[in-house]
Amino acid sequence: MINKIVLIVMLSMAVNAKEVPNIYEKACIPCHKHLPYSLEKIYMLYLKTFSGELTFKASLKAFLKSPMEETSVMPDEWIENFSVKERTILTDKELDEAIDSYWKLYDVRNKLH
Amino acid sequence: MSVSKNKGTNLLRSSEKSSLRRFLALYFTLVVMILSLLGTFYYQSKEKLMYSDQRTILSNYAHEQIQQLRRLHRDFPQKSTYPRSSEFRSGIYDIERSEIFSTLQSKDLNFDKELYHQNGMMTSVTYLDDYYLGMKYLFIEIDEDANWYSSVMMEIFTLGIIILIVLATFGLFFVNLFLRPMKNSIMLLDDFIKDTTHELNTPISAILANVEMMNIEIMGEKNRKKLSRINIAAKTVSHLYQDLTYLTLDHNRKSKDEWIDLKSLIEDRVEYFAILAGSKKVVFTLDLNYSTIFIDGIKIARVIDNLISNAIKYNKRAGTIHVTLRKDYFMVKDSGIGIETDKVNDIFERYSRFNSSEGGFGIGLNIVKSIIEEYSLKIDVQSIIGKGTTIRVDFLKGTVDDK
Repeated sequence: MINKIVLIVMLSMAVNAKEVPNIYEKACIPCHKHLPYSLEKIYMLYLKTFSGELTFKASLKAFLKSPMEETSVMPDEWIENFSVKERTILTDKELDEAIDSYWKLYDVRNKLH
Repeated sequence: MSVSKNKGTNLLRSSEKSSLRRFLALYFTLVVMILSLLGTFYYQSKEKLMYSDQRTILSNYAHEQIQQLRRLHRDFPQKSTYPRSSEFRSGIYDIERSEIFSTLQSKDLNFDKELYHQNGMMTSVTYLDDYYLGMKYLFIEIDEDANWYSSVMMEIFTLGIIILIVLATFGLFFVNLFLRPMKNSIMLLDDFIKDTTHELNTPISAILANVEMMNIEIMGEKNRKKLSRINIAAKTVSHLYQDLTYLTLDHNRKSKDEWIDLKSLIEDRVEYFAILAGSKKVVFTLDLNYSTIFIDGIKIARVIDNLISNAIKYNKRAGTIHVTLRKDYFMVKDSGIGIETDKVNDIFERYSRFNSSEGGFGIGLNIVKSIIEEYSLKIDVQSIIGKGTTIRVDFLKGTVDDK
């Protein structure tokens, strides 16, 4: 009986674990999904500006920690309409995780053929 | 059987020929070096030209590829097929030189050279400011023109040969120009000897004939000695006349070869020179076996006369001359002053003499050499300073009577 209970608890934890959104999904998507510029488009904009993975991630992290109009890659019209985002409240570790997920999700290497 | 004489008067001594050969060798070495240098420059300029053409082609391909990648970036990810071409291969790399996508064959890429060729492929690199799909470097690769190298080398080789022929013609022209004064001086000397020779014949013949006819029995001892001296002097001049005639007139005539009894000939010539040898108290010792040789009589007589005459001329007083004749060689050995080892090879040069204190023009051994060469005989000179000289002439197999 105890074994059955343990098994059910573990299964429910596994199911729940699958459904737990990662930090990128939790911290980024909720805000961006209401904006006209998709995260994929912003990714392509960053890619066009910073090219390599390390540069991309470092630049994005620097911007998220200290957003400024001068360092934003978004078009001027965007800035005028939506202004520059607020400073992130994520820790460095969370920020790295979120950016890694973002990079992996839209990496062109996996999509070109 | 006769041996035709086809050698003209050889105006150049072997030392001059050697100088000429050295000059020509130096000239051709320099010409070949200059041509190689020019060939290298030509190759490099053609290579630059080829690079320039290829650069233009690759630049056009790169431009075309950038346009397509720009469109792909804009439409990504709805469109995600990397643009390909049948005329070139390409690859895109990010700012960290990490591959984004590539159809290149070459794996060893050089990010720092805008254009390079390796493994039969020409590759260009374009550096971008707008990183479409993240690309900082765009590589365009095409196969090299396989015929380019062989066609350029063929051009260089053909041009090189033409220039070499032109320069060789110039070289020969300059050599002739350079040698003309030398040839002229030798020809002048030959002409002088030739003219002089004509004037010698009649008086010498008259002197010798009259000396022979004189009755020495009724002469006193003093007069007999005087007549002997006249005879020696006349024979010396006669010998010189024979050499000069041979050199200037006879050597161009066709040889009349016949079987010559060398033993009789040598005995006859020794007797002819006996008075001359007697004047220096030089004694002949003869060791002659019977031998015959198929040769022109006048020419073999010139050889024997010159060898005996030199043996007398350069002998010491009361010296000896040993003449040996065997079936296939004869040898004249004197007890004279000898020749220095380094000068042995020069004694056959025209106008060269063993010793300037003795008279003569230095043409005797040159005549011997020309006859020896004409009949492919072999001559060997052994000499020791102060002890004497031995000259041996070996006959060619087939020219001697083997019976």
